[in-house]
Formats: sequence, structure tokens, C-alpha cells
Amino acid sequence: MPSQVSNNMATKQVRYEALVRALHTDLYRYAYWLTHDKQVSEDLVQETFLRAWRALDSLKDEKAAKSWLITILRRENARRFERKRFEMSEYEEANVMDTQSTSTEQEIENHWLREKMAQLPPEYSEPLVLQILGGYSGEDIATMLNLNKNTVMTRLFRARNQLKEALEKEPVTRGQYNG
Amino acid sequence: MDDLQYRRSIYADPTCQDADILAAQQADPAKKEFAQELIQLDERLKRAMQVPVPDGLCEKLILRQTLASHQQKKRKSRVHLALAASVAIIAGLTVNYLQFSNSFTNLGDYALAHVYHEKNDFSNDDKNQISLTSLNQKMIAFNGSFEQSLGQLISADYCRFDGMKSLHLVFKGITDTVTVFVVPKNEQLAFNKYFSDSKLQGESIDFKNTNIIVIADKNESLSQWQRAISDNVTWSI
Repeated sequence: MPSQVSNNMATKQVRYEALVRALHTDLYRYAYWLTHDKQVSEDLVQETFLRAWRALDSLKDEKAAKSWLITILRRENARRFERKRFEMSEYEEANVMDTQSTSTEQEIENHWLREKMAQLPPEYSEPLVLQILGGYSGEDIATMLNLNKNTVMTRLFRARNQLKEALEKEPVTRGQYNG
Repeated sequence: MDDLQYRRSIYADPTCQDADILAAQQADPAKKEFAQELIQLDERLKRAMQVPVPDGLCEKLILRQTLASHQQKKRKSRVHLALAASVAIIAGLTVNYLQFSNSFTNLGDYALAHVYHEKNDFSNDDKNQISLTSLNQKMIAFNGSFEQSLGQLISADYCRFDGMKSLHLVFKGITDTVTVFVVPKNEQLAFNKYFSDSKLQGESIDFKNTNIIVIADKNESLSQWQRAISDNVTWSI
């Protein structure tokens, strides 16, 4: 019996490490677009994976791992607001990741787009991140966010619409003026 | 599909492959171009969303889990130890309780049960003889002594008389052994002077700190034994 227990533990460890390696990047980026804060994102991801470890036996379908982790992370994020509601102010002015130091054309555009995305209301940006970064369908997103599909599609429409309008307002030479 | 509806669908999902969307794109190149434009926007957004991940995050996550589960294991083994200790204590208390609790309410019942229990250990034909000196050595524990021998003493040993340390004496009798208990007084066992069942009879004598109980079969004269004991025993303070 003891050898079987430690064997199970070893298997669990292998599963866990595979999960971390495969999904920590996606999860961190998702956390970043949820919180707009590098440190908070890292903490959230750590907390999420710790919870995932404890509940790992309940994860039967490896294909569902990513959305399972995202669900845990969203719950952890909500808990963060219950704990310290006063930190909300930090959320208002989105401090966007600064990658200006390597000022290639591409980085300038990324920076500009990140700024615009950070200005989207969170209820619009969240499904957009799930769709573009996570590759989820409207139905999947609706399930994960506990919304109905029409609401999700409307929010996605508004998110892109607002971003496109912002893009079109910007002069073509925006990169030079930005930053 | 009208233009507004088409735009809404494409804005919501530029890669939409629904039949009516595809049909609309087939019919109108401008619509197809519009979709392409948004797919391109998505590409740019995707690049922008791929923010750099902190160095070593992966290793940190694995390390933290390893530490946390190690801690948990340590906690668990402490819990197990505590559980084992509790079980041991309870087992100890139970044994103690069973062994030393009073399961009989009066002297007579217990004395009879005790005699029946050890019935096969002694016989009237035993050739053992224990001297008065060694008997009196044992009596020191009860602050008493006998002046003369009461008869052939086959066995004299301390034993537990319903949890109390007492002296168990077995004498040779007329037809069968005669058992004498020297027992410290106990409030929990009711004193009864005479008791008997179908085979055995018993009589207790009440001294200051001690009871002496004599049990024998019905052929013995208990009053004679009683008198012999009462005349013979002296108690020191």
C-alpha cells in the first residue's frame, strides 16, 4: 500500500509539472489582462496552481485543463477583491506593461494596442482575451463566464468595434508620437 | 443577410465559418475583405496580448508546490502521531477502568466469584505448607499478624480483590479447601456478614480497617473459623 501511495504521488507530481509547463504562459497572460498588474498576476497564477494541485485528482479530462485553471484563477481574482476592496483604485488607471525600451516598430504598435485594450471595460476585454488568446468559441466563453452566448457575442462585437474605432482615429504616424 | 447583421457577426467572431456568412462573403468581395481586415486586427491584438512572462515563473510554480506539499506531508504526519497518541491514551484508560472498576456491589458476590474462578488452582490434597512467619510477613501490608497457625496453609498470596490489593489464603479443610480473604475496607462494596449459594457459604468479620472473609463448603463450621481468626489476629496501628 505505501508504495502505491507514493507512486500515486509521483504520478500526480508528473501531471502537475506537465500542467504548469504547458499552461503557465497562457494563464499568466490571462491574469495580466484581468488585472493589468504584473505582480498581482504572478501571485494569482501561483495561488491558482496551488489550488489546482490540491484538486488535481478532480481533473479527469486533460483537454479541459486550461478552462479549469482559468475558472480557478477567476475565482481567486474575485476573492482578491473581497479581501481588499480598497485596492480597486489601482485597477482604474491601468498601468500598462512597459516594453518601450526595445523600440522596434512592432513593440511600439504592441504598446499602443495594449494601452487601448486596457481602456476597454473589463466585461468587454475579458471575452476578447479568451477568444483571441485562449482560442475559445463563443459557447465556451459563455460557459466559463456564466453568461449566455448572445451576451458574449454582443460584448465581443463591442470590444472589436471600439478598438477598431480607436485605431481609425489615430493618425497613421502614431508610433512616432506615442510615448 | 443584411450588411449590419454581417458586420455584427464578423465583429463578434472574424473567423466565423457559418454557412450564411460564407455565402455572403462569396456574393460580395467587399464583405470578404472586411472579414480579412478584422482577422488581421486579431493577429495584431494577439501579438499585443502576448505580454512577456516573468523569467523563471514555471520553476517558481513547481518549487512552491513542492514546498507546500512537503509542508502538508509534515503536518499530516504530526496529525497521525497525535491520533495514535490519543488512541493509546484511551485504550490505556479503558483497560484501567475495566480492570479496577467495581463490577460487583457487595463483598459476598465478589468473594464467591473469586473462589469459583480459582477453584481448579487449589485442592484439598495439596501438600504445600506455608509457615506462620511467612504468612505474618504478608500480613504486614495490612498491619496485622496471627499468633498461631490456623491449620494447614496451602497458599498465601496477594491478589486483586475487585481492584484492591488483598491477601488470599487457602487452608486445608474437612472436605475441601477453605478460602480466607484479608481485604481493606472499601466503601464501594457493601459489607454482608453472611452469604452463600448452592455449594459454598461465607462469613465476613468486620475489623477496624480490614474485612476478613471466610468461604468454605457447607461441611465446614464457619463460626469455628471465625472464632479462631478473631482470637488469633492482632492489629497494630
